[in-house]
Amino acid sequence: MSCPFAPAKTGPSRRSLLAGAGGLLASVGVGVSARASAQEVSADAAAREMFFGEHQAGIATSQQTSSYFVAFDLVAKTRDEVTAMLRLWTDAAARMTSGETARPLGQDLSTEAPDGGSALGLSPARLTLTFGFGAGLFMKDGVDRYGLAVKRPEALVDLPKFNGDQLQPARTGGDISVQACADDPLVAFHALRELDRLSYGAAQIRWAQTGFLPNTPPGETPRNLMGFKDGIINPPLGGAPTTPDAPRGFDDVVWVGDEGPDWMRGGSYLVARRIRVSLEHWDRTEIDFQEQVIGRHKYSGAPIGKSGDQDLLDLDRLDKDGNPLIGDNAHVRLGAAAVNDGAQILRRGYSYNDGVSFTAERWPPWRQGMMYDAGLLFVAYQRDPRTGFIKIFENMSKLDALNQFTTHTGGGLFACSAGVREGEFIGQRLF
Amino acid sequence: MTTRRDMVKRDGRRAALLGALVASAALLAPAATQAAQSASFLDGVHRQSTLVSTVPDNGDQNPYAIVVAPVSAGSIQKDDVLVTNFNNAGNLQGLGTTIVDYNPTTKKLSTFATLPRDLPQCPGGVGLTTAMTMLKTGWVIVGSAPSADGTTKTKGAGCLIVLDPNGKVAGTIAGDNINMPWGNMATIDDGRTATLFVSNAGFGVGSPEGDPRVVNEETVLRIKLSIPEGKPPAVVDETVIGSGFGAQPNKDVFVIGPTGLALGPNDTLYVSDATGNRITAIWDAATRDHSAGVGRTVTKDGLLQTPLAMATAPNGHLLVTNAKNGQVVEVDPISGEQIKARWIDPNKAQKPPGSGDLFGIAMTPAGDGFYYVEDEANTLVLAR
Repeated sequence: MSCPFAPAKTGPSRRSLLAGAGGLLASVGVGVSARASAQEVSADAAAREMFFGEHQAGIATSQQTSSYFVAFDLVAKTRDEVTAMLRLWTDAAARMTSGETARPLGQDLSTEAPDGGSALGLSPARLTLTFGFGAGLFMKDGVDRYGLAVKRPEALVDLPKFNGDQLQPARTGGDISVQACADDPLVAFHALRELDRLSYGAAQIRWAQTGFLPNTPPGETPRNLMGFKDGIINPPLGGAPTTPDAPRGFDDVVWVGDEGPDWMRGGSYLVARRIRVSLEHWDRTEIDFQEQVIGRHKYSGAPIGKSGDQDLLDLDRLDKDGNPLIGDNAHVRLGAAAVNDGAQILRRGYSYNDGVSFTAERWPPWRQGMMYDAGLLFVAYQRDPRTGFIKIFENMSKLDALNQFTTHTGGGLFACSAGVREGEFIGQRLF
Repeated sequence: MTTRRDMVKRDGRRAALLGALVASAALLAPAATQAAQSASFLDGVHRQSTLVSTVPDNGDQNPYAIVVAPVSAGSIQKDDVLVTNFNNAGNLQGLGTTIVDYNPTTKKLSTFATLPRDLPQCPGGVGLTTAMTMLKTGWVIVGSAPSADGTTKTKGAGCLIVLDPNGKVAGTIAGDNINMPWGNMATIDDGRTATLFVSNAGFGVGSPEGDPRVVNEETVLRIKLSIPEGKPPAVVDETVIGSGFGAQPNKDVFVIGPTGLALGPNDTLYVSDATGNRITAIWDAATRDHSAGVGRTVTKDGLLQTPLAMATAPNGHLLVTNAKNGQVVEVDPISGEQIKARWIDPNKAQKPPGSGDLFGIAMTPAGDGFYYVEDEANTLVLAR
C-alpha cells in the first residue's frame, strides 16, 4: 500500500485514482493502491482508443457520445513555436487518451498544477483527439508566417459561399482544429482545456462547439434533435460490403491516398458546419410533412415506403401517379451518392444545444424572438472536399427542402494529417 | 364540379418539398363553386416544375418581380425571365440589389444587374421590389423600396431605376408621387412611347413596432414616357389615377400594400388591394386625368387571401397569388366571379400551407402557363 502522492515521482495517475474504491473524493488523502485489479484494467482498456497509428483516431472510431470541437488561431511568431506546441499537444494527447493526466502531476503544491484535475478518477471514456490544419496555417492575410505556403494541399480549398450561408466570423475558420470525442462530456472538455493551456502564447481559441449524441442502444442509429435517425448511410467500415447507397468503401471515401502530399496520406479532410435548426418551426409541422422533407419515415427511419432504417433508398420508386416516392427535394435524395455522381462522405456529426438567442427566421412566416440556438455540429470526413462535401452541398444548399429549417452559422475546413507514429509529433511530416 | 384533385394537383417535386396538402371545403367560396363550370385557365395547368434557384452570387434572397423579356437586347434574350431579389444575403428585406436572368433555353441563371446599395437620386437606396418592366426598346425599369435594417422603420421613399439592357443604371425616376413603388407594373408599350402603371406602398407608412394600423394613403401612379432613339426613357407626365389604397407596415413581411396591377379590356386597370382583400378596377386608366379613388370592387374575400401580384391569362381572366396561402386564384374580371383556386405552393412548413411563399407571377410567352416565385425556397417555378 502506498500513498499516491508519496512514492511515485510523478504523482497519481487518473487510473490509479479510478482504481480507488471510493473514487476521487474517497481516495484523496487516505491513500489508495495505485494498482488496478485485472478486471479494472480490462475495463479500462475497453475504454481506451489508441492515439498512435496509421490514421488519427476519432475518424474511423465508433462514435462517442460527446464532443468538444475547438478551432484555434495561431499567434506563434515562428514555425518552431508551432511545432513546440504540437509536441506538447502530442505528449498530452497520448497521455490523456490513455487515461492519464495531461502532464505528470508533481509534488510541489506551490506551483500551477500540470493538469487541472477535472478528470481525475475518470475513465478515458474512449477519448480521441483529432487534429486538423486550416488554411491559416499556410497563409494568413496574405502572409506566409511559417514558411508553409508552398505545402498547402490543393484539396485544402477555401470553402465557397453556399446558398443561404449565414456564417458568423466568430464561429468560422481557424488555423488549427482539435476535436475531442469521448463517452463522457467532462473527459472531452478536460482534454481540450488542457491542450488549450499548453497552447498559451502559441495559439488562442477562435471558436468552440460542444456536441452530444443520445445514449442510443448499441446497433441502433441515434436520432437528431428533429427526431429523425441521422447518419444511416455512411461508407461501410471494416470490410462491410458496399451498397447502392454507399457504393464506395470507407478507405476510398475517407483517407487521402497517393494524390495527396506525404503528410496527408492516410489523413482526411474535415468539414465542420454549425447548423442551427429552427426547432420551434419544425415542431409545429405535421409528421408526414417532416417525413417528406427528410425522405424517411420518422419512427422507423426507413426510406419512404419501406420498413427498415437500413433498407436501400431505391430513389427510382414512383407512386401510382408517377411521382417519385422520395421527392426531388427530399434531404436524403439530394445527399445521396446516386444523384451526386457517386460523391460520398463520412458523416460524424453531433447535436448541439447552446440555449436560446434572439433569432429572425429566414423563411415565412419570418418569426422573430428568443428561440433555441440548437441543432447540429455537422462533421464530415473525406479524402477531397471538392469531390465530397462541396460537390454534395452545392446542390443541397439550393434545393433541399430541409433548408427552410436550417441555417449554417459557422464552421471550417481542416486538413487532418496522417496518424501519429510513436516518437513523432502531430503533423510532423508537414513541418 | 371542381374536385379536390383539380385544385390540388401535384408533381413529384411538390410531393417532397411540400408534402401532403390540406384540402378543405372551405377553400371553395360559394361564388367559386357556382362558377366552376366557367372556362378555366387553371384547368389546363397540370404541373409545377422548379426551374432554378434565384439566388445570385452575392447571396440576395426573396425573389419578387417576374418579367418575361419582350425582345432581345444587350445581355437579355427574348423570353428570358428577369427576377428581382428584395432581400440581401443576410435576409434583410429592402436591401436586395440584384436582378437575375433565367434563360429558358439554356436553363441557366445569370445575374443581369447588381445595383449599388446607395444610389443618388433614389431616397433610401436600393431594395428591389415587384415593380419591374422591360420595354421593347430594351430598357428595364425597376422599383426600389429600400430599408436600412430590413424593416419599414428605416424605409426610404425609393424610386424607379432605369437600366440599360446590360444592367447598367441609366437614370432614376423619383419625386413626390413615388414612395416605395411596390406592385407588379402594368405597361402599355408602343416603342417610342410607353405608359407605366405603378402602385406605391410607402405613403404614411412608419415603423412596424407595436400594432400599426392600416393607412389608406397609397396610390396608383401612371407614368407616361417618351423614349428617344438611343436615349433612356424620359418622363412626360405623371398622374395619380388611383388613391386611398391601404398599406400596413409589418415587421415580418415588411409591408402589406397594393401589389398587383393588370390591364384588361376597355382601358381598365385592375388592382389587387391586399389590405382590403379585394381586386378593384380603375376605368379609363390610360386617359383619365384624376384619381378614381380605389376604383370599383371587382371581387372580394372568398378565395382571396391577401392578394398579391397579378397576371392576365389568355382567356382574359386574372391570376392572382395569395399571400396567406400557397394558392393562385383565377378571377373573371368582367363578371367578378372567382373561378377557382389552385395550390401551387402547398408547403406545409407554413400554416396555412404556402403562407408567405408566393409573390410575383407572369405568363409564359406562349400563354400556356405561368412563372411564379417561391420565396421560402428562393426558386423560380413554371406551372403549365
